Amino acid sequence: MSKIRGGNGNNVAQEPPKKLKKVTFWQQYRRKPLGMLGLCIVVVYVLAAIAAPIITQYDPTKDLFLADNLAAPLWMKNLSEKYKDAPVTISKTVDLDGWNVTEGADFSITKTTYDEEDFMLIDMPAASSSGEQDPMMEILKDIYTPEELAEMFGASAAAKTSFSMDFTFPYNYSPPNTFNFTFDYAVEGSSPEATTVARLLIISPSGKEYDIWGMDAYGDWPISYITVDGRDVPVKMRLGLGFFDDPSKIILSEKGDYKVKFMVETDSSTGAKIYITPVKINIPGLLHGILGTDHMGSDLWSQLIYGARISLLIGLTAAFISVFLGTTVGIISGYVGGAVDEVLMRFVDVLLAIPSLPILIVLSALLGTSVWNVVILVAMFSWMGTARLVRSQTLTLKERAFVEAAKASGATDGYVMVTHILPNVMPLVFSALVLRIPSAILTEASLSFLGLGDPRVPTWGRMLQNARGFGAFTVMAWWWLLPPGLALTFLSLAFVFIGNTVNEILNPRYRERS
Amino acid sequence: MAMLEVKDLTMYYKTLRGYVKAVDSVSFELEKGKALGLAGESGCGKSSMATTVLRLLPSNGNIMGGSVKMDGKELVSLSEEDFRKEIRWKRMSMVFQGAMNALNPVHRIGDQIMEAILAHENVSKQAAKDRMLNLLDMVGINPKRYNEYPHEFSGGMKQRVVIAMALACNPDIIIADEPTTALDVMVQAQVLTAMEGLRKKMGLGMILITHDLAVIAQTCDDVAIMYGGKIVEYGSAKDIYLKPRHPYTMGLVKAFPNIAAEKQKVRSIPGSPPNLLSPPEGCRFNPRCPMATDKCRTEEPPLVKSQKGEQKVACHRESEIEEGVDIWQ
Amino acid sequence: MGFRNYLLKRLGYALLVLFIILSLNFLLFRIMPGDAVSMIMDPKFDLATKEELRSQFGIDQPIGTQYIKYLKSLLSFDMGRSFNTRRLVWDELKERLPNTLTLFFASFITTAAVGISLGVFAAARRGTFAENFVTGAGLFAYAVPGFFIQLMLLMIFGYYWPILPIRGTMSAPPPPGAMAQFLDRLWHLILPAGSLMVISFGSWALYTRNTMLEALGQDYIMTARAKGLDKKTVLYKHALRSVLPPILTLIFMSLPGAVTGAVITETIFSWFGVGKYLIDAVMQQDYPAAQGAFYLIALSVIVSNLLADLAYGLVDPRIRVGGGAK
Ligand SMILES: Nc1ncnc2c1ncn2[C@@H]1O[C@H](COP(=O)(O)OP(=O)(O)OP(=O)(O)O)[C@@H](O)[C@H]1O
Ligand code: SF4
Ligand SMILES: [Mg+2]
Repeated sequence: MSKIRGGNGNNVAQEPPKKLKKVTFWQQYRRKPLGMLGLCIVVVYVLAAIAAPIITQYDPTKDLFLADNLAAPLWMKNLSEKYKDAPVTISKTVDLDGWNVTEGADFSITKTTYDEEDFMLIDMPAASSSGEQDPMMEILKDIYTPEELAEMFGASAAAKTSFSMDFTFPYNYSPPNTFNFTFDYAVEGSSPEATTVARLLIISPSGKEYDIWGMDAYGDWPISYITVDGRDVPVKMRLGLGFFDDPSKIILSEKGDYKVKFMVETDSSTGAKIYITPVKINIPGLLHGILGTDHMGSDLWSQLIYGARISLLIGLTAAFISVFLGTTVGIISGYVGGAVDEVLMRFVDVLLAIPSLPILIVLSALLGTSVWNVVILVAMFSWMGTARLVRSQTLTLKERAFVEAAKASGATDGYVMVTHILPNVMPLVFSALVLRIPSAILTEASLSFLGLGDPRVPTWGRMLQNARGFGAFTVMAWWWLLPPGLALTFLSLAFVFIGNTVNEILNPRYRERS
Repeated sequence: MAMLEVKDLTMYYKTLRGYVKAVDSVSFELEKGKALGLAGESGCGKSSMATTVLRLLPSNGNIMGGSVKMDGKELVSLSEEDFRKEIRWKRMSMVFQGAMNALNPVHRIGDQIMEAILAHENVSKQAAKDRMLNLLDMVGINPKRYNEYPHEFSGGMKQRVVIAMALACNPDIIIADEPTTALDVMVQAQVLTAMEGLRKKMGLGMILITHDLAVIAQTCDDVAIMYGGKIVEYGSAKDIYLKPRHPYTMGLVKAFPNIAAEKQKVRSIPGSPPNLLSPPEGCRFNPRCPMATDKCRTEEPPLVKSQKGEQKVACHRESEIEEGVDIWQ
Repeated sequence: MGFRNYLLKRLGYALLVLFIILSLNFLLFRIMPGDAVSMIMDPKFDLATKEELRSQFGIDQPIGTQYIKYLKSLLSFDMGRSFNTRRLVWDELKERLPNTLTLFFASFITTAAVGISLGVFAAARRGTFAENFVTGAGLFAYAVPGFFIQLMLLMIFGYYWPILPIRGTMSAPPPPGAMAQFLDRLWHLILPAGSLMVISFGSWALYTRNTMLEALGQDYIMTARAKGLDKKTVLYKHALRSVLPPILTLIFMSLPGAVTGAVITETIFSWFGVGKYLIDAVMQQDYPAAQGAFYLIALSVIVSNLLADLAYGLVDPRIRVGGGAK
């Protein structure tokens, strides 16, 4: 229905014809609630993409083992009985100041560095046979050398120096899945025949002692990297547990103050220097951050936030390239016509007849997985619709008077295409561009989901793939699955809303179906 | 009693911006076997009038008042189901504007005609088929082609098929909405002649809607001129064609090449038709009328018997117009 | 005769597309970055294997000869051996094809049935909940990543309420008895096929509704109503019948998309089909297998396009009976 504006000619006393105010695009757009909603959503995503390093403190792919694998979000504490007092990651390094020396406090204990690492150096003096003496031993000592004596009675027979220290940490959660201690340890300056025994014990609040690590060094012991993990078989063996028992569940089943005790005993006649780095204690939490962790213990929230960057980047560039290609082909095909048109359109037909996802799969496997490959591939197989649309519009424009006039006045074809046809297909192109974005985003997500994305960048598709492949289902980690899926959904919905609104305003009669 | 009596019929389309007053208090009558012409500019509500009478309105078309009586029986209040079974096609059929598309492209033309017969009459398939073949023959289409699809016929032939279809149930009235506009002039004449012949032969009443006053002058007994959803002049075709009394009709008559005096200058009426969402106050023609006065802008002229002619006219200043004076000069 | 010409034209076109896809397939696996031989040859292959591969790919021959040989072998479904299993690729594909076809037809038929009937329903009842539902579902199908919905369904019905099997085409070991086995397969089919239906019926419904509404606005519908036909006849015999050609075209045109959807679906539900085979082959760099699976998928897409043309021709009298619309 056409709106009739003020008549002309004989109208005498009619109100003056209303002047048509030029309505800007934005003025029209502003009135469309869905369009505005879409725009707001996109703005939120863009902000998240830009401010990612501020929003989240972790690197989405490099920061590993922030908590246990598949840790739940912190807020699950309030939602589920299972997570009510699940642990959050406890990670601390205990250095000299943290230890409380309980035996051998008079030894010289100093901080030192060795191989650019901080060590504490415990200088154990030679074992002195002070105190009560065995008369029998006194007699034997005259007959045999100390070596021979040691051989006969074992190290215990010899005099010993002991050192021990401990520290206390509170643990008020349900048992974790594991715990681990790491430190470097060395013995120096011991007499060759001497034995230096080190032990690491955990003492529960109720006083149970768990001997989780020990090392008997004969003579000197070079620097070695010690790591004690609750899941290690040697730990289970030391504790006398079965293969399927879980030390962490047994040891950390109480709540309260736990003690970790480190002790060394040596019978070296020359004394011994014990080197030990500050001990790193890590109890990986079962709760972590806003969205928990993935199978590598890295932060899902930061993957989600950084994912916005990739999705927007890929969506926008792929859509841009695709629409650029489509527009170029469409204009040339429509304007030049003839054999060129025929060839280009047949080419379009053929491309449309090729199943795009399978070929994308094959190509991305062959070309290797990088973000740019994905962008280019997605663009290469999605421009045909735009080309057809632009071509048909060009065909009608070609017949218009202004194009005829331009041609008659001797303008070159290229000039006419760029200055006359292009501006007139722009509205069409613009909405095609916006509507292309969501499908580019979803295609990229599908590829990532199939494992064909760039492994170095965090994408939502890959999050979903990991969720599926690494056990989100078995633990019902819906917080791993829902956020990337919803993020994708809202983003593409937003672009669809914007695209439809733009289309309504710019091309009231065209509805692109793609 | 006239066969079809339309009185104060009012139908508005409801739109987001308000009511489109497409048919506003329209009254006319049609005697058995007579033809009434309905003319007016595009958008004045002619088709709306026809679809209102046949109750084929889109969902936003509302009949606001008035009555349509056939043989004295009120049709507006008839139930949808009764109307469909008793009136449509059986008593009143219609040839639609743009009848080129009035045939369903995926059904054979013969089937489409037979379907109408079978929907209303309890006859055997064979009987329906015989009648269909007969009808095709009557409108000048080779009955052997009944098995073909619409796209295999030319425009004029399709139009004849549509006419044959409209005649299928021996209706009393046929409403023809611009039955020939899409055809070229030669074919137009053929189709019109064929239709006239059939109508006379079968004693059909007809409402012929057209832009073309000349066609009306040739075929119709009475004429109603519509402007902006209202009838502004109503009377016998001869009177109106030869001695129009309403300024708008005068302009309209002048706008068409005169068959009697061919050399007359063709000129159209300046200005554009009213927006039926908010038609002008008073006489709806006042913004374009060369004779408009203040009264015309406030008071609506009633459709009354002309003082200087036989027809009915809705114009405040009708009596002032001297015969033979060209107010559009 | 018009129909025959039309058919021949479409057939010729399908052959052209087939030829182009074959060539593409040939080129793709040869212009890979790096040396083709080293890409294809795993150094741990024994000499006989290497020889066999050499002749399979004809790598030492000139490219033209290679190409002809390749065309011949693919046309006879000789796709070589899988690097991985050392079995003939075609044999492996043959095992999987019935599964893919089952999934495909099951999902396709349910989707089409649900989508089309909802669309018709919505068109018949303008402005009701049905129409809003269909519009919403259409938007949903366009903007929501399908695999995400499938994952959610898997989580809900496979894990949260474990009422449906989560992987595979049948139980291992299969239950005894033919009937039990049939039901077991059906049981396994529900989640993959059902989820495919859920993610795609919306676009069908929306498309059907739109074409129906367009048809309902046509003059011939007005004629049908004026003729005094009842609502049902108008809706089904006139409106629906006249939109069947575009809907049928849609049915066949969405075959390729459905094939594509099956690739992801098969991966998600570990369905033992061609799509999963392609993904697995690609992941394991099993080129002959990937090439074979891709060829089979492309072939099925071409065939379905051809079917679409054929169906369109059969349903639309303007094509079937010569001429073309005036
Ligand atoms: N479904 C509708 N909803 C709202 N307005 C409508 C509708 N159909 C028609 N109109 C409006 O009603 C008025 C009358 O339309 P109608 O089709 O009856 O005109 P007409 O006299 O038949 O014109 P033409 O000669 O062009 O066929 C026009 O202004 C038209 O825009
Ligand atoms: S009433 Fe007035 S405005 Fe209307 S036609 Fe008559 S003179 Fe013109
Ligand atoms: Mg009309």
